[in-house]
Amino acid sequence: MRLVDLTWARGRLHPDDPLLAVPHSFLHPAVTGSQGTPGDAELLARAARGDERAVGMVYDRYGQVMYAVAYRIVRQPGDAEEVVADAFAQAWRDAGRFEAGRGSVAAWLTVITRSRALDLLRARSRRERITDTAQRSDPESTLGMGTPGASPDAAVETKERERRVAEALADLSPPQRAAIELAFFEGLSHSEIAERLNEPLGTVKTRVRLGMQKLRESLKPYFYERFA
Amino acid sequence: MSGAEFGTPRDLAAAYALGALEASEAKAFEELLARDTELAREVAEYREVAALLALAEPASSPTDGLRARVIAGAPPRPISTTSSSEAGINWMPWALAASLLLAAWMGAGRARLGARLEEAFALLARRDTLLAQRDTSLAVQQRTLDALLAPGVELYQLTATGDPVPGVQLFWDRKRNRAIIQSFGVKPLPDDRTYQLWFIQDGKPVPSVTFRPAADGRAQVESIEVPSGAGVTAAAVTEEPLGGSPQPTSAIYLVGKLSGA
Repeated sequence: MRLVDLTWARGRLHPDDPLLAVPHSFLHPAVTGSQGTPGDAELLARAARGDERAVGMVYDRYGQVMYAVAYRIVRQPGDAEEVVADAFAQAWRDAGRFEAGRGSVAAWLTVITRSRALDLLRARSRRERITDTAQRSDPESTLGMGTPGASPDAAVETKERERRVAEALADLSPPQRAAIELAFFEGLSHSEIAERLNEPLGTVKTRVRLGMQKLRESLKPYFYERFA
Repeated sequence: MSGAEFGTPRDLAAAYALGALEASEAKAFEELLARDTELAREVAEYREVAALLALAEPASSPTDGLRARVIAGAPPRPISTTSSSEAGINWMPWALAASLLLAAWMGAGRARLGARLEEAFALLARRDTLLAQRDTSLAVQQRTLDALLAPGVELYQLTATGDPVPGVQLFWDRKRNRAIIQSFGVKPLPDDRTYQLWFIQDGKPVPSVTFRPAADGRAQVESIEVPSGAGVTAAAVTEEPLGGSPQPTSAIYLVGKLSGA
C-alpha cells in the first residue's frame, strides 16, 4: 500500500487546497470523547438504545476495520458485509456486556466480527471453501468509494495505521507471523497450528507469544485505546 | 522448545486474545482473568493488537449500502428515552416549538405565537437542509480523498510553458486506469471556449475530458479514463471550442511528463 505523502504534497498544492486542511494527527479523539466528540462507549450505549445517528457514527469509525477483519477471514465481499451487519446487530444486543475498563470498543467489535466470520467459515464445507477461494474477486476491483460518513482525518489516520501494522508484521519472522495469522484469521488453536505447520507445540506457543509481544510494543501508539 | 515454558498465566495472555487457546485452557484462563486486573489489562492490550491485524492487507471497502443496512438494523428506539446530549443538540428546537404550541393552545397571544411557531419550524427545516447539504458535500470530499489516497496513486504536474503559476495536478491511479485533475490559477475563458485534457500516447494526442475553471481558476474533474496500454508518456491541456475537439486546434497551454510511463 502506498500512502500519499501529504507533507511532500504541501509544497505543491495550492494554498487553499482542501487537502492541506487534512490534519496530520494520528491520535483518535473519538475513542475517549475529547474535543466535544462523543466517546466510543457513549456512542455504543446510544446506538444500543436505537439512536440511529450514534449507529452511523460507530459504523463510520469502525465499519471499515470490521469489514477488513471479516473480509480477511471469509474472503468474499458479500459474505464480509453479511458478517459485519450481523456483528453490529450482535453488538447492539450485547452492548450491556461491554466493559470499558477491559478494552476498547474497537477491540470488542473486532472480537465479535472475527467470531461471526469464523462461524460463517466453519459453516462452509471444505470443498466450498476451496471453490470460494478460487472464485473470490480481487479486493482491488471491488473497491467502494470508502466510508461516506468517515471524516478526512479519520481516513488519513486509518491509512497511517495500515502502513504501521504492515511494517510491524513485516518485522516479525515469517514463522511468527504465520502462527499469529493462523490463530486469528483461521481460528486455529495452538495445537491445530502445530499440526498444520508440522511443528512442535511448544515452538508454536513461543512464536505466538514472542510475536505478539513484539507487535504489542511496536503498535502501542496505534492502539484504538491506551491503557494506563 | 516445549509448553513447559508457559509457567504463568501471563504467558498465555497473547494466545487468549488471539483465540489460540484450547477450550479448556481458555476456560481456566478466564477464571484467573476475572480476578487479576493486571492480567486483564495485558489481555486488553493484546486485543488491541489483534484488532489491528487485519489492517496489514490492502483492504477493499464495503459497499455504500452496508452503512444503510447497519443503520436500518439499529434496535428500535424507546419512545420516552433520550440522552442528555441529544436533548441539548436535537430536541431543543422541538421543545421550543412544543411549548409555543401549548401556549398557543391556551389562547395567549395565539396569532403571534403561531407565527413564532412557524418560524421555529422553518428554522428547523432550514437546519435540516443545511445538514443534508453538508453531509452530501462531506461525502463527495471523502470520495475524492479516498481516490487520492488509494494505493499506487501517482501525482504529476502539468505546467504552463515559461510560466510556473497556472497548473494542473494529475493524480493517476494506474491500476484502475483512472485519473483526477485539479487546476489552479488557469486563465478564465470566453463562454464558447473550454479547456481540454490530452494524453500523449506513442507521440499522438488522445482526447480526454473538457473542463471550465471557476472564476478563481480552479476546477476538478474525477474518474477520467486514461488510455489503456503502454506509451502514455505525457499529458497536456489546450484551449478548444466548447464540447472539445478530436484533435488539438490550439497551442499547448499546460503540459507535463508522466515519468515512469
